Amino acid sequence: MDLSPIQNAVASGSYATIADACDELMLQVASRGIAYQEDWPFTVHLLGHIFANDLNSARFLWKSIPQGFKESKPELVAAWRIGQCLWTRDYAGVYDAIRGFEWSPEVAGLVAAFSENYTKKMFQLLSSAYSTIGVADVAHFLGMSEDEATNYALQHGWTMDSPSKMLTVKKPRIITEQKLDPSRLQRLTEYVFHLEH
Amino acid sequence: MAMESVEAVVAHIQGLSGSQEEVAHLHALLKQSEDALRSQAARLGAFLHQLDPSVHTLGYLFLLEAYSSDPVCREQDGDFLLSIVEFINSCSAEQIRLAPEKFISVCKSFKDKVMQLQVPIQGIVPLRTAIRKLQVSSEQLTTLHSDYLLLCLLAKCYKAGLSILDDDIFEVDQPRDLFLYCYYGGMINIGLKSYRKAWECLHNVITAPMTTLNAIAVEAYKKYILVSIILNGQVPLFPKYTSSTAQRNLKSHTQPYIDLANCYATGTFAELEGCIQTNLEKFQSDSNLGLVKQVLSSLYKRNIQRLTQTYLTLSLQDIANAAQLKTPREAEMHVLQMIQDGEIFATINQKDGMVSFHEDPEQYKTCGMIEHIDSSIHRLMALSQKLGSLDEHMSCDPAYLTRIGKERPRFDFDEFDSVPHKFL
Repeated sequence: MDLSPIQNAVASGSYATIADACDELMLQVASRGIAYQEDWPFTVHLLGHIFANDLNSARFLWKSIPQGFKESKPELVAAWRIGQCLWTRDYAGVYDAIRGFEWSPEVAGLVAAFSENYTKKMFQLLSSAYSTIGVADVAHFLGMSEDEATNYALQHGWTMDSPSKMLTVKKPRIITEQKLDPSRLQRLTEYVFHLEH
Repeated sequence: MAMESVEAVVAHIQGLSGSQEEVAHLHALLKQSEDALRSQAARLGAFLHQLDPSVHTLGYLFLLEAYSSDPVCREQDGDFLLSIVEFINSCSAEQIRLAPEKFISVCKSFKDKVMQLQVPIQGIVPLRTAIRKLQVSSEQLTTLHSDYLLLCLLAKCYKAGLSILDDDIFEVDQPRDLFLYCYYGGMINIGLKSYRKAWECLHNVITAPMTTLNAIAVEAYKKYILVSIILNGQVPLFPKYTSSTAQRNLKSHTQPYIDLANCYATGTFAELEGCIQTNLEKFQSDSNLGLVKQVLSSLYKRNIQRLTQTYLTLSLQDIANAAQLKTPREAEMHVLQMIQDGEIFATINQKDGMVSFHEDPEQYKTCGMIEHIDSSIHRLMALSQKLGSLDEHMSCDPAYLTRIGKERPRFDFDEFDSVPHKFL
């Protein structure tokens, strides 16, 4: 079984492509009637889905893994715990799941990249969802200590009211592209022509 | 003409697979030899090795089909499956399309075998390849489409179904194919939680032309009700183009689901739970319990969304009361999740314990949005052109002209006659 496409993706850090590569390769291998499950990199496959935030695929993959593997591979179970916390929206639990296991060198990079992304995404969520939020909650959602969380927030332009331990959110300015190019004019002409006929 | 021996047939195949004319000639010979092949099905396995599936596709197909229709031969597991996979991968699409029914028969035997051995995942890539080779264009629906989706469902490889589901279908040969394809398509989208797409698929099933009610439409309607509630909080009326068969009969076969929809409209969690309990067995035996549970949890969201229509700001305590949640903290978490999923536009103010509701900030000015509108308009234009040419095509169809000719009242000679008399 040639697993090099997956191994290359992991080694080169293109974590976002792992899930699709695993899916396609698994279907190809299965179609040849090979009993692939013994050597299949389920942990990498699962983490690939988690990295891409495709929790549906992660759940279906977990369901299809034979029970014996779930009992004999602790790293696989630990990876699933991250997925479970994401699925049940246990925001802080995700950090516990990430930190609560000694990841093997093969997946350590993947897990670290996921952790960084997740923290950023959580911070973005807090910025868009809250106008004021307590320091304890920010620490909870970012998986940091209260001091670390406060510093992180202050670095991003938030302000703090010390007595009440409340942080005021500074909304990031979203710069979206609004320039139009000349080919639009051609398109608009086509539309009008079509409507007239 | 005497029945040819298998050896003679194989010799023909090897000799006549060069050019298009040769293959056409071969096709005629093969059709005459069908009975001979079938009667000797057990021996055919050995002969297959003498042929190259990529060059002798048509001949290989005839032999393979005779072999696989024989119940005894089908019992040979491993090699049988692998030889079909090999054939599908290497066969020539042109030659396949000369005998599509045989190709479909072989693929169906393959699918049945894969299901019987409980390894549906093994059939996914081969059937995907088979569909692409059988189709004349990606707009054509084949019988294999629904088989493919069924395997994806059984193997729980839902995403694999999307590569086929994403194609727009304009040509359908057999109505039954369409019903199954859209029904399974709905189920795949439900599995992926793409409720809008699931709704469209199921909508196509129930509004498809029907002279008699079929079981697929009934099951589709049950899921349609549940998905409609999850998406929009209510079940829409049948559109005008729904067949009268469907409009008159679907509801009487799906009463528990209609009751559920009515219960949902009252907005009370306890009542909805009660309604679900009453019909629990029915939902379970229809395999719809998972979907029903999602209806239940969507009630919280629905109740919170309703609040945005009345209030600009509201306290977390009030939201908890309105949505029948136990604590303001629970309400806060629900609102946060809805913001994360883009189901609501709001900001939480923890200091005051208040939530402010906003309008959708989308101003439709960004490049991304323009691209999106652009591609939608393009698709609509293409669809409009397609419909235009379909309409033209149909207005030249003799059957259609005969029909309108008959239904027209007799005019005087002076009247402009749009239908030639030969059609009257």
